[in-house]
Amino acid sequence: MMPPHYFLLVAALLFAIGCVGVLIRRNAIVILMCIELMLNAVNLTFAAFANESQSMTGHVFVFFVMTVAAAEAAVGLAIVIALFRRRRTTDVDDASLLRW
Amino acid sequence: MMERDVVVRLLLGLIMVVVAYAVIRILAPARTLLAGAALGAGALALVALNPGALASVEFWAGLVGFAAILSALMIVIHPNPMVSVLFLIVNLFCVALFYLFLNAQFLAAIQIIIYAGAIMVLFLFVVMLLNLKAEEGLTARGGPQRYGAIVLGGLFAGLLFDAILHRGPQPYFDPGTFASGFGTARELGGLLFTRYLFAFEAASLLLIAAMIGAVVLAKRRLR
Repeated sequence: MMPPHYFLLVAALLFAIGCVGVLIRRNAIVILMCIELMLNAVNLTFAAFANESQSMTGHVFVFFVMTVAAAEAAVGLAIVIALFRRRRTTDVDDASLLRW
Repeated sequence: MMERDVVVRLLLGLIMVVVAYAVIRILAPARTLLAGAALGAGALALVALNPGALASVEFWAGLVGFAAILSALMIVIHPNPMVSVLFLIVNLFCVALFYLFLNAQFLAAIQIIIYAGAIMVLFLFVVMLLNLKAEEGLTARGGPQRYGAIVLGGLFAGLLFDAILHRGPQPYFDPGTFASGFGTARELGGLLFTRYLFAFEAASLLLIAAMIGAVVLAKRRLR
């Protein structure tokens, strides 16, 4: 049988990789993908704890996280398209109008 | 335990083979055929030498975990967004396999249908629509922030590992005592439509708001 820690460790590593990806990449689409990666890592943790405590509540949370991820991807990609139309770029460093 | 040794040896061997493949690709980028042949031959030889490991759950779970972490790294380091999207699909499939290991069949199904089916098609569509080239690379700009982010990410992963390995005594879980419906659509639906009904309806509101927002944002001109 698999030790329950294994899934938590893989999820933690995936979350950290996604986190680093958000910080070091400048392409807005890749940043959105790294956010999806982090949400997936959290989902995996929820499923691992649900399995450990034999309670389905964790699965309900995964369901809602997927809903939020779908909404976030749709709005985020629409913003990327709008940005590309105005500036001909998807580099987040070129979209600094709202920066201090 | 004998079998555990075999499993660990096979997994470590496969990791070494993939590292060797990466080294060949970096040192001689033109020799893709040679590197691919080395990868395939190494993997086949390892499997032929350790046939017992293929029957164990640990081996497959370890292999899926390795594939998940490797594909996540490729998403972050590959300069071409198109390749990143394809590796994200690999990663999502690996997570779906993990859901199967964790008795969450319905989650595995909707992971593939919603994530790999719907969201990733959206990502692929946008990448192809904008016709993005591998324009930035990892060395273009933002040097100090990059190294700081990698160091902090490593520290963060270490912190999470420490928390996971030192958490309190866990309840012992015995796969034999699971309720028969654990992880099925029937059980999840029962929870969603009774205890979490309000959150479920709120999620529908969120989706319609996201849909209208996406249409408005992507419109060429508002009037």
